[in-house]
Amino acid sequence: MRRVAVVGAGMTRFVRRAQETGKELSFIAARAALDSAGIGLERVDAVCGGTAPDAFDGVHRKGDYLADGSGAFGKPYIRTYVGGGTGVFVPIQGWYTIASGMADVVLVVAEEKMSSCQPHPQGAFLTIFDNVIERQLGPNLLWIFALEMNRYMTVHGLDKRDIATVAVKNKRNAAGHPAALLGQADISVEDVLASEVLAWPVQRLDVSPISDGAVAIVMASEDVATRLTDTPVWVQGVGWNLDSAYWTNRDLYFPEYVRNAARMAYDMAGVSEPRKQIHIAEPYDPFDYKELHHLEGLMLFDKGKAPEAARDGVLERDGDLPSCPSGGLLGVGNPIAAAGLMKIAELYWQLRGEAGARQVPGTPERGVAQAWGDLMQVGTVVVMGTDGGPPTTASREATPPAAPRATALSEAEFRATPGAVEDRLDVEYAWDAGEAMGGFLEALRDGRIVATRCAQCGRTLVPPRRFCERCFRPTDEWVAVEARGIVHTYSICHVSWDMLPLDEPQIPAVIRLDGASEGGFLHLLGEVSPEHIGIGLEVEAVWKPIEERVGSILDIVYFRPRDPALRTAGG
Amino acid sequence: MMPRKVPGELPVSFRYTPGVGNTAFLEALRDRGVFLGARCDVCGVTYVPARIFCERCLAELAPGVECGPEGTIESFTVGDVGIDGEPLAEQVALGLVKLDGADTVLLHRLLGDGPWEIGVRVRASLAEDRTGSILDIEGFRPA
Repeated sequence: MRRVAVVGAGMTRFVRRAQETGKELSFIAARAALDSAGIGLERVDAVCGGTAPDAFDGVHRKGDYLADGSGAFGKPYIRTYVGGGTGVFVPIQGWYTIASGMADVVLVVAEEKMSSCQPHPQGAFLTIFDNVIERQLGPNLLWIFALEMNRYMTVHGLDKRDIATVAVKNKRNAAGHPAALLGQADISVEDVLASEVLAWPVQRLDVSPISDGAVAIVMASEDVATRLTDTPVWVQGVGWNLDSAYWTNRDLYFPEYVRNAARMAYDMAGVSEPRKQIHIAEPYDPFDYKELHHLEGLMLFDKGKAPEAARDGVLERDGDLPSCPSGGLLGVGNPIAAAGLMKIAELYWQLRGEAGARQVPGTPERGVAQAWGDLMQVGTVVVMGTDGGPPTTASREATPPAAPRATALSEAEFRATPGAVEDRLDVEYAWDAGEAMGGFLEALRDGRIVATRCAQCGRTLVPPRRFCERCFRPTDEWVAVEARGIVHTYSICHVSWDMLPLDEPQIPAVIRLDGASEGGFLHLLGEVSPEHIGIGLEVEAVWKPIEERVGSILDIVYFRPRDPALRTAGG
Repeated sequence: MMPRKVPGELPVSFRYTPGVGNTAFLEALRDRGVFLGARCDVCGVTYVPARIFCERCLAELAPGVECGPEGTIESFTVGDVGIDGEPLAEQVALGLVKLDGADTVLLHRLLGDGPWEIGVRVRASLAEDRTGSILDIEGFRPA
């Protein structure tokens, strides 16, 4: 394989609502990246585009829609999409296009325009939940994060205060980023801890903002890169990995898929001791705890130990392991795919020693960037480095990106924009439950919970499937499991998916059923007040009266404590 | 056998801003009744509506070239059915019109009885009360 380097980077300003179209945002970033590399579009052999769900921009063909603004006219072009992991996957696509010898110069562009999606871009995320047994419960994207965060905090006995220091660090770091949406030099941990509780333990300032923006980089083969610049930043390793799509079957406290992706990238990069050999990290931080979770997945800290490192200042720009010196998604903003590629751009600037006000001290030689997405189970990792650290001649005067553009509109301006068009995708769906889930629903109507069993690995699978995804063979038999179990993790959610306050909080939980091998499913808790809920609480299903059951996950009204002394009256 | 179909929807709508290029085009159409394009002198291409970049070379463009209001039909179709296949009370003619001075075509309605032919010269018919929308153009009639 040929060596590949990053030789240019550019980006728009990240804003809450951009006047520019997605094409125009892509152009601004792509033009800036080409200018930074000192080349014209005629030097580009192929273009790689990255953008997350079509339903954000409301353009249900986002790949080719963005092609012209991405410089793909008349060139080989393909759009990559692995959810939130897209922004760090699209440079991997650029890498293999060059490493394979198919191109010498590739323009890599990532874009997102989330403001188009009304009333709230969370609506586009609803479809990541299982249509048959999860969406019926009225889920909210925040549930997934809150459930994972609670599990992570509880398993390790973590202090929310330590986690909140990540939000503070990133918003302070972003104060030195000319393109940032939420840079704030004077924010404190108290501000984060005092912000509105959305879905406990997730609070408003734990979360990155909805954003519009685009980022682009130029990648080149070794012979071209060394002619274009004295300071190419090499792609030393790439990795990507997916865990089970049955998210309620995983132990959410640790991102196994990130570790797998990191191993792949480190092996390729010759990194055997990441804690010594990685000098800068740009882990994916859509929520503050995710940065810590991912640093552990990247094997830069032991499990459960990243929060105390955050508390002790290790992750600060001048700490032992600067993490998100850019300001990350929490500070710079989170136009999904663009935010991931922004991390690659940051490593490019940092490793060239030209990050200006954001420059980490010393002579960093190697960094790692990572993103995460799909249904919480894809990890994408890129290791980048130089041979010997930044040159002493590198300019630290100007802070990149230079004069980033994008026209920010206020809510009122956005509503009043002349020529704006409103539309909806006027379609409905009917999802067939399928064989396995169909059998599961029929049993629910009869007041039973059933699983399928794989005789080869011996697992009893809930939700049931007709095939074992590990052994990759048909499952062998149906078995009954108990309609009771323990709370694997839970949240107390105060907002709906479109972020309106709920009259009564919902208590989503992942229930580990007795008799199932790993986990179980998502449901709600009832007849319990929050002070009596904990991970490990023994619960049982409360069924609808038999005459009201229809063969739906809602035939179970909720799960309640098995101990009557812990129940509240009614339900 | 119980029904196993689960219904659902994607409960979102969209608000599209026209962007910098289209805004310049729509404002010129609304305020002055002209068709604003942008020209890339390097590639020798004039885009209508105006764009802020040339897709061929990624040069930044400034909207500023006025095109039309006459042009030529590059292609057309006459529709007898609606989007659900239902018969229409009146046929709808749609054309790709290359405005004079432009190198790109505009999709819009053809007004009048036809018959339509490729190469026919047409002229834009503008609404009296214009709001800054592509519908400020009522359509194109034979010139």
